[in-house]
Amino acid sequence: MKRLLIVDDEQHVLRILKLALERAGYLVDTCSNGADALEYLRQQKPDALITDIQMPRMTGEELCRRIEQDYPERRFPIFVITSRTEVEHRQWSARIDNLHFIEKPVSMRNLLNQLHRLFSEEPTA
Amino acid sequence: MNLRGERSGLILLIASLLVMAVSVYVLLDYQIQQRQQQAREQGLALARLFSGMPWQQVIGDGGQRGLLEVLRQGQSNPDFAYAQVVDNSGRIIDDASATGIIAPAFRMPAGPAEWLGQELLGEGDERFIESRAPLFDQGELRGFIRIGYRVPRLRPSYRQLPIIATLSLPIFLLMPLFYFFLRREMRPLQAISRSLDRLAENQDNPPELQPGPELGDFMERFNRFLDTTQSRILQLQQEQDEQLVQSRLLAYKNSKIESILQALPEAVLVIDESGSVSYANEKLRELLGREPSGIIGHQPAEWCHSVEILRALSGQFDKGELLRVDGPELAADQPALTRRKLEIRSYPLFAPQQDNRLLGRLVVIRDVTDLHHEQLRQAEFISQIAHELKTPLNVLSMYSESLIDEGLTSAEHRIEAANIIHDEVERLANLIQNLLSISQYELGGLSIERQRVRLRDLLEDCFNTLAHGDRGGEYRFELDLPPDLPALMLDKPLMRVAINNLLSNALKYSPPGSRIRLEAEANDEIVEIRVIDEGYGIAEQDLPHIFDKFYRSEDENIRKQTGHGLGLSLTRHIIHIHQGEISVESETGKGSLFRIRLRRTAA
Repeated sequence: MKRLLIVDDEQHVLRILKLALERAGYLVDTCSNGADALEYLRQQKPDALITDIQMPRMTGEELCRRIEQDYPERRFPIFVITSRTEVEHRQWSARIDNLHFIEKPVSMRNLLNQLHRLFSEEPTA
Repeated sequence: MNLRGERSGLILLIASLLVMAVSVYVLLDYQIQQRQQQAREQGLALARLFSGMPWQQVIGDGGQRGLLEVLRQGQSNPDFAYAQVVDNSGRIIDDASATGIIAPAFRMPAGPAEWLGQELLGEGDERFIESRAPLFDQGELRGFIRIGYRVPRLRPSYRQLPIIATLSLPIFLLMPLFYFFLRREMRPLQAISRSLDRLAENQDNPPELQPGPELGDFMERFNRFLDTTQSRILQLQQEQDEQLVQSRLLAYKNSKIESILQALPEAVLVIDESGSVSYANEKLRELLGREPSGIIGHQPAEWCHSVEILRALSGQFDKGELLRVDGPELAADQPALTRRKLEIRSYPLFAPQQDNRLLGRLVVIRDVTDLHHEQLRQAEFISQIAHELKTPLNVLSMYSESLIDEGLTSAEHRIEAANIIHDEVERLANLIQNLLSISQYELGGLSIERQRVRLRDLLEDCFNTLAHGDRGGEYRFELDLPPDLPALMLDKPLMRVAINNLLSNALKYSPPGSRIRLEAEANDEIVEIRVIDEGYGIAEQDLPHIFDKFYRSEDENIRKQTGHGLGLSLTRHIIHIHQGEISVESETGKGSLFRIRLRRTAA
C-alpha cells in the first residue's frame, strides 16, 4: 500500500482528502503545517506528498525548499495545491524536481487519476 | 530775479568805467605817439635844414644872436629839449637848451654813413630823441648839429581833463539807456530761463512764453522747440515706464514660472538641441541625487550613470512616451528594493514661430515609488482575494464531489458534508460581502447615511443574535449597558456590521466556556463601546497589523478558524467614517479588549 502525506491547515480539506484517498486504497497521514511535515519526514518517507501553500508556521513553498535541501536523493513526488497558478510559483519551483501543481479548486477525481498514473508507471519493486 | 537784475546793472557800471578808462588810455597813448612822431620829423627836418647852411652862418659871430637861439625861441613844440652845434672834435660850439635841460654828451659818429641820423639818448626819466646832421664849410666837415626832443611820457595833465570829461559824459549818459534796452531784451530770455527751469523740474506744462515784438520769431520757434522737447520727453518717459512695467512683468512671469517649476512634484529637465541640460529644477536632487546647478551645461552622459535613465534622458524615445525605471543608488549600500521607481517622459520642444524647429527636449521625471508600491499591493490584494475565494471554493468542490461519489454514501458523511458546504457557502458570501464593502470604501463609495440610532437597542440586538446563535450556548455572555445610553447619529447597518465583526471575532478566537462581555459607557462627549473576551489573545507582533487587510495571525488557534482577514479592516473603516476611533488591548492567552469611541456630537 502506498503511503501519502497530506499537509494542509484547513481541517475540512484534510478530512475529505483523507477520507477519499483512504477509500481509494492509500495509507494517509496528515500534518497541518510545513514544520510538522518536516518533523514527520525525519521519521519516515511517504510515497507521495500533497501540500497546500499558505499555511501558518511554515508555508508549502518553504517546506518544498527544505525537502529539496535536506533530502537531495528524494524519490517521492510532491503535489502542491495552490489557489494561484503554476506560473506564479515558477521562480522557486523550477529548481525542484518531481514537483506537480494542482490548482484549486481541487478535483478529487483528477488527483486520484494523477496518483494512480504515477504509481502504475513505477516499476513495481 | 531782482538780485540778478541788480547784478547785471552793476556789471554794466563796471563795464562802462572800464570802457572809459580804456578810452582815456588809448587817447593819451595816441597823443604821445603823435608827439613822438612830430619830434622825429621836426628834428630831422631841422637838422637837414641846418646841414644845408654854411658853417659860419650857423654859428654866427660874436655880437649876433645865433641861429640856434632863434630856433629855441621860435620852437612851439613843448617837447623841444636842446639844439647844439659841435665841431668835429666834439667840442660844443653853440648851445641852445630849454630851461632845466642838460643835453646828454655827444657821441661822435663812427663814419660818414652815420653823419646824418637819429638816435635815442639819455636814461631814466630824461630820454631824448636826437636828430643829427653834419655841418660843412666849403665842402669840408666842420662839425654837427644836434637837435633833441624829450621823449614824451604818458602823464595825464590837467590840460587833458576836458577831453576826458567830454569822452566820459556820453558814456555815462548812454549807460542807463543801454541798460534799459538790455533789460527789456533780456526779459523774454529770463522767461525762457524760467521755463527751462520748470522743464528741468519736470513740470508737465511749461507756460507758453509771451514773445516780445523783437524776439517774436525766435520765441515762437523756441516755444515750438519746447513743445516738441516736452512731448519727446513725455514719450520717452512713457516708453521708459512701459519698459519698466514690461520688465517687471517679465521678471514676475519668470519668477512665477520658476516657482511653478520648482513647486512641481516632478523633476523637470530641459535639454537643448546640443544635448546639454539648460534647466533643471530642485526636485532633481531628490530624484536623481544631482545638484541642479552642477549639471546645467553638461550632457546627461557626464553625470548620469544609470543606463536606463540615460536612455530616457538621451531621447532615444521621444513622443511623450513613458519609461519606468529604477532610480539611481543614492546611498552606496542601498539595496535595489528600496530604490525609487521613476517614470520618465520626454517631450520634444518646438519653436512655434520658427517652422517648428526642434529646440530640445523637456524631460519630466516623476517619483512613482508610492504608485508602484500601491500597484504591487493591488496585485497582492487581487491574488489574496483569489486565494481567499478559492479556499472555501476548494472545500465546496471537494465535498460536493464526495457527495456525488457513490462510495461515500453513508448518512453520517452526507450530513457532515452538507454542513460543511453550508458553512463554506456562508463564509464565501460573508467574504464577498466584506470585499464589496471594502472596495466601496476604498473607492470612496462607502457612503454613510446617518440616522438617529438608539445605541442601547443596537448593541442589545447584536449581542442577542450572537448569544442565541449556533455556538452561543458554549459561552458565558455578559451584557452591561447603562440605561441612559444616548441615541447617536449613526449608519445603522454599517455600525451593526462593525459590532457584529467584533463580537463574532471574540467568539471565534475564544475557547468554549470562556466569558464574552459587551459593555458601554457614556460621558458628555464620548460613547465608548467595549468588547471583551478571555480568548487566545493577540500576539505582540500581530497587534500593529490586525486592522490590515488580509492580515492573519500565524497563531495556530487563530488559523484553525475560518477567516479572511477582512473583518477587522472593514470594522476600522466603518468606525473611521463615523469619525470614531478603534483600539485594541490584548495579551496572548488572556484575551482581548476592543474599544470603540464615538463622539456624541459627530454630525
